[in-house]
Amino acid sequence: MTKNANYSATIGIECHVQLKTVSKLFSGAGNDARQAEPNTLVNHIDFGLPGALPVFNAQALSLASRAALALKTRPQKFSTFDRKHYFYPDLPMGYQITQYDQPIILGGKVEFTLNNEKKTVGITRAHMESDAGKSTHPAGKDYSLVDLNRAGTPLLEIVSEPDMHSSAEAKAYAKELYLLMRYADVTEGDLYHGNMRFDVNVSVSQDDSLGTRTETKNLNSFRSIEKAIDYEIKRQIEVIESGQKVVQETRGWNDAKGRTISQRSKENADDYRYMPDPDLPPIVIDDDYIENIASTMPSLPDELRLKLAKNGLNEAQIETLIEANVDIAPAGYLKLLDAYADDREAARTLANWLVNVDIPLFRDEPSFAARDRSKLYAAVLKLLNANALSSTNAKELIQACLSMPELPQAIEAYAEANGLLQQSDSDELSRVVDEVIAANPKAVSDVMNGELKVIGFLLGQVMAKTKGQANPGMAKQILEAKLLK
Amino acid sequence: MAELSREDVLKLVRLARLELSEAEIEEYQSELSQILDYVKQLQQVDTAGLQPTNQVTGLINIMREDEIKDYGYDARKLLDNVAQTEADQIKVKRMVE
Repeated sequence: MTKNANYSATIGIECHVQLKTVSKLFSGAGNDARQAEPNTLVNHIDFGLPGALPVFNAQALSLASRAALALKTRPQKFSTFDRKHYFYPDLPMGYQITQYDQPIILGGKVEFTLNNEKKTVGITRAHMESDAGKSTHPAGKDYSLVDLNRAGTPLLEIVSEPDMHSSAEAKAYAKELYLLMRYADVTEGDLYHGNMRFDVNVSVSQDDSLGTRTETKNLNSFRSIEKAIDYEIKRQIEVIESGQKVVQETRGWNDAKGRTISQRSKENADDYRYMPDPDLPPIVIDDDYIENIASTMPSLPDELRLKLAKNGLNEAQIETLIEANVDIAPAGYLKLLDAYADDREAARTLANWLVNVDIPLFRDEPSFAARDRSKLYAAVLKLLNANALSSTNAKELIQACLSMPELPQAIEAYAEANGLLQQSDSDELSRVVDEVIAANPKAVSDVMNGELKVIGFLLGQVMAKTKGQANPGMAKQILEAKLLK
Repeated sequence: MAELSREDVLKLVRLARLELSEAEIEEYQSELSQILDYVKQLQQVDTAGLQPTNQVTGLINIMREDEIKDYGYDARKLLDNVAQTEADQIKVKRMVE
């Protein structure tokens, strides 16, 4: 593997983002095919029947414009639709409607931080296009089956510049693109159902020139992007080292086997015979349209990161919160933190609870995520500040409350009933300390003779007597005051 | 005359999923070559400074609201036009090995 050091990799990524519309890109059929029976979300347009007229969905334009702003550019004021011709059973029209030479987005960038280094990946272009149908291939049969529910679903294909040079960079880019599209509300971002699908172009070279690239298609997780690129880099280096040439081709990713597989060679690549689609007039937008969309854009991850860092949260906490905030959507983690914008200490404590207790809990059980827990956290923070809760018990209290089907109304009463509150009443503690001193004359005389660590033993006795409910700091103070003066 | 090769014709035939007889291949080789000649003539026109014409209708922004539309028939009716179906899906020649 020392040979790898002589090679550098160049990586570009194409990502198909499914736009979050109610209906399809060019027809009024429903767009959510996840639960639908086969061929129920279809009509004459999706079936490509002769004479059917596609009509563009205005919401797709709005969402693509949001994507443009999230990619730090503006949508093009003039864009057109074209036909890309090829024959495949999942494409009933015999062509895909896409945007060829005048797409909705030209330029843009995605910025992210990797290993404390700021990286920028340029965006070449992004175009709107319709998805194909879904085909399945029953085992042992000589036929395939086609369901056209997905045919005509609106996609935005985002094409990056070949600005990445490692699988880690590619993964970080894909993740940032995902967060941008989620926060900008462009897509549902359901990776499991293929709402974002990535094609990675990889080449290796020993000098400044670009090597022959391969394209590995249809990756739908960040992990598979990383693994497929690592595999491709290693494979291509081995091909070159063995004296052969890398073939320009399309490859597929076999996740179970952990390798890429040749699918078709680019030498036989189809000529798509693009032409302007005469059914679809150009899309023309003005500054007012763009400003209107811009005014509805929420805070994007970069801005949120800065804000959370100002609250004193560390990078790992910030990333967990930003991801969970869109992933477990109704939970509103960042909103919960907003309430403590002026109190860094409370914000940090709350962030710790969210990252260590709340988020892991709802990753396993998302159905409770919608509950408003602002009151719970306010109550626990108050008890903690009043020294009525130890930090360990605070976590336990939160865990117990969040695990219940309904959040308890009276948090303090619940904590008390479950023995989670600590004894911070100094008169009461003082009385317990006196009892412990009276019961342990040997230990007391040891402490008085300078064996200070024996205080730990006495403190243990106080904790035992209060069944662990004494505030340890306060109990230690009282013990020291009584014995060391 | 622009000479379109036999291979060019076969490629077009493949892309268009057509099956042509030997006689037809020869016929199209000649006819398509004439069309190319005509295109060559058109290419001599100076188009510098002209807007490319995507459309001749002059229309822009023909859009609809994002809502589900009832087209007044049962979607499954569309399968009646399909040659072969199985379990409400369209049955086609196997696409993968």
